[in-house]
Amino acid sequence: MRMRKMRSLCVASALLLAAAFAGAQDKAVTLTFGTHQSGLPTSGIVQKLGVDFEKETGIKIDFQVVPDAQWRDLLKAKIQAGEAPDIFCADADPLSLYDRVRPDANCIDLTKQEFVKRMDPSVLPAISYQKKVYGITFPGAKIWVYFYNKDIFQKLGIKAPTNYAEFKDICGKIQKTGVVPVYEALQNGWHQVLPLFESGPYYQTFYPGLYDKLNANTFNIKDIAQLKTIITQLKEFADLGYYGKDFMSNSVEGDVKAIVDGKAAMVLEGIGWGTQTELENPSIKGKLGIFVMPWGDNQIIGINPASNAYFGNVKSKHQKEILQFFAFLARKDNLQKRIDGDPQALAICWPEIKSKYPKDYSDYIKAHKTGTVMQAAVKYVDSQWMDVGKDLEAMYAGASSVDQVLQTISQRRDEQAKLQKDPAWK
Amino acid sequence: MNARKIYPLYFSFGALALYFALFFFPCVLGLFYSFTDWNSFRPELNFVGLDNYRNLFKTNTPYLLYFWNTIKFTFFTTLWKTIVGFFLALLFTRASRMANFQRMVVFSPQVLSFLIVGLVFRSLLHPSSGFVNNALDFVGLSALKQNWLTNLAWAFKSIIAVDTWKGVGYVMVVFIAGLKAIPSSYHEAAVVDGASYAQRVLRITIPMLVPSIMVVTVLNITYGFRVFDIIYVLTNGGPGYATGVINTAVFKEFSKGDYGMGTTLSTVLFFFITLISYFLIKAMMSKEVEA
Repeated sequence: MRMRKMRSLCVASALLLAAAFAGAQDKAVTLTFGTHQSGLPTSGIVQKLGVDFEKETGIKIDFQVVPDAQWRDLLKAKIQAGEAPDIFCADADPLSLYDRVRPDANCIDLTKQEFVKRMDPSVLPAISYQKKVYGITFPGAKIWVYFYNKDIFQKLGIKAPTNYAEFKDICGKIQKTGVVPVYEALQNGWHQVLPLFESGPYYQTFYPGLYDKLNANTFNIKDIAQLKTIITQLKEFADLGYYGKDFMSNSVEGDVKAIVDGKAAMVLEGIGWGTQTELENPSIKGKLGIFVMPWGDNQIIGINPASNAYFGNVKSKHQKEILQFFAFLARKDNLQKRIDGDPQALAICWPEIKSKYPKDYSDYIKAHKTGTVMQAAVKYVDSQWMDVGKDLEAMYAGASSVDQVLQTISQRRDEQAKLQKDPAWK
Repeated sequence: MNARKIYPLYFSFGALALYFALFFFPCVLGLFYSFTDWNSFRPELNFVGLDNYRNLFKTNTPYLLYFWNTIKFTFFTTLWKTIVGFFLALLFTRASRMANFQRMVVFSPQVLSFLIVGLVFRSLLHPSSGFVNNALDFVGLSALKQNWLTNLAWAFKSIIAVDTWKGVGYVMVVFIAGLKAIPSSYHEAAVVDGASYAQRVLRITIPMLVPSIMVVTVLNITYGFRVFDIIYVLTNGGPGYATGVINTAVFKEFSKGDYGMGTTLSTVLFFFITLISYFLIKAMMSKEVEA
């Protein structure tokens, strides 16, 4: 009898303790932050800011990072199932934002927030829908260039190429030394697509008003001759072995090691990549040069004014805390911390923070023509980016031809347009 | 039959109501949606007849490839899991000190999530840094190295191998239970009649195991047709679309916002599985041998 009373007392105490603990846990708010690998700087600065935020407010940020290749589809599925995280990072551009996250239905309206007017006005269209601002973004304009190892080039007596023939020639010379000429990575699913649409400004020189015509459906994307040329050249490089034998299994994150170890000579990366790589690997300091991607003989630098942005889930129970976190990130001292703590970020889209472009990079960009990339100005391009990545993967694997890739890109544009009842597609 | 122990019909109403509400009604609704242009961009729903079903058979779409891949995956994983599981069951029902430990080792992949198995095998099968190719180098079999997940000839085979490795333990356990239910007197009588081990397996063990074979075959086939996780994690349907299956296509359609097409694919899959399972169970029931 006595034992039974003791047992009941113990159970009751345990239950009380558990209830008290659960009550205490309920008061601590955790915001889930869903993103893809490329959505956060590799330096970890956003996670550090998350820790600072927790110290200041007691609100924890739980970062849930998903591989690039799966994120877009996963985010859409989660949003549609009502299971999106409190905060989600998504690539933002004026044309694809609605398709990607349906901001009017799923995102918190940030229009009246204080920090909105401090962002660069040129980025607002990328994070807005029907004149309301739904996202907060930080990266500056995105520029992709080829980085090359100057030592390898010097030893072989070769220079940075300015057209495709030169590019192919120097790759042949580099390959003979046993070094992979160009580090390419298909695992992330998006990297291989860059040459196709970053060359948009170059296509416009052959077809004036091209972007408007594509949006009005008076010109078919598969009829861009230079696009076909570039895809053919990409395939040629793969067939010649200029990407190495494991490029289909490589990931973008592996490019640093490949270049630093001298296993690869060139890589297509964001313009801030060189600064970060040199900082983290002193052995390569001063040895990285850049050149414009010369596919199809292009020499125009493509600029993407849009980048990824953070959105608050309108269905979250912690909207107040989400806005608190956004305001924290937008504080001037934290903006400065962000650019100081991310070597890849040469600029952010907040005019109050000075950019840190190296002089040689600024001079190089000024010496070339620039233009807006295709995915930021043409409908139904960015939304099929990962699918085009798969098309190119199929082409490299031998399951698809260049013409089939073009045909599929065009067909997919038509399907997306008809699904969204675009009036230009009747 | 004890009439006092038969429960009244209304005892099943609760279960039936749940079944209709959570299973039957959504299936019928899904069938209805497959005849519409239901999507995430517009709230209105329009009847489109058989357009979605016609799209499945268009030559410039990969849907027929996905169906074929699903059938191939189901057939080969069912076959290999059944054969390997059966032989492992025969092996581990012999009296042995380590039998329980061995069974546990073979069964343990079954408790791992597909995500973990997929991520681990992506690393193991990497062409340059993966354990498999490095091990082949180490033992002097470099000629056998492959791009296991990115070569068209090997990607699907690699997925089937990984899935078989994960699922064979479960099949083995079902067969062990079936083997233990076979009376030993049959084998003893066969030995006395001069039957060899192979003859006893073919003439006694396998016929007596038909109920177990039926169970694992139906389970493997229904799993095979519904496969998604292992393919999504290992190859995401790649290289290109070579290893895409119906459920990766359903996921893709729902992600694109084309719910009508996604529901069409799911509906076709549902009828396919129902038909196959029905005929399979019917065929196997006629071959059952009662102990």
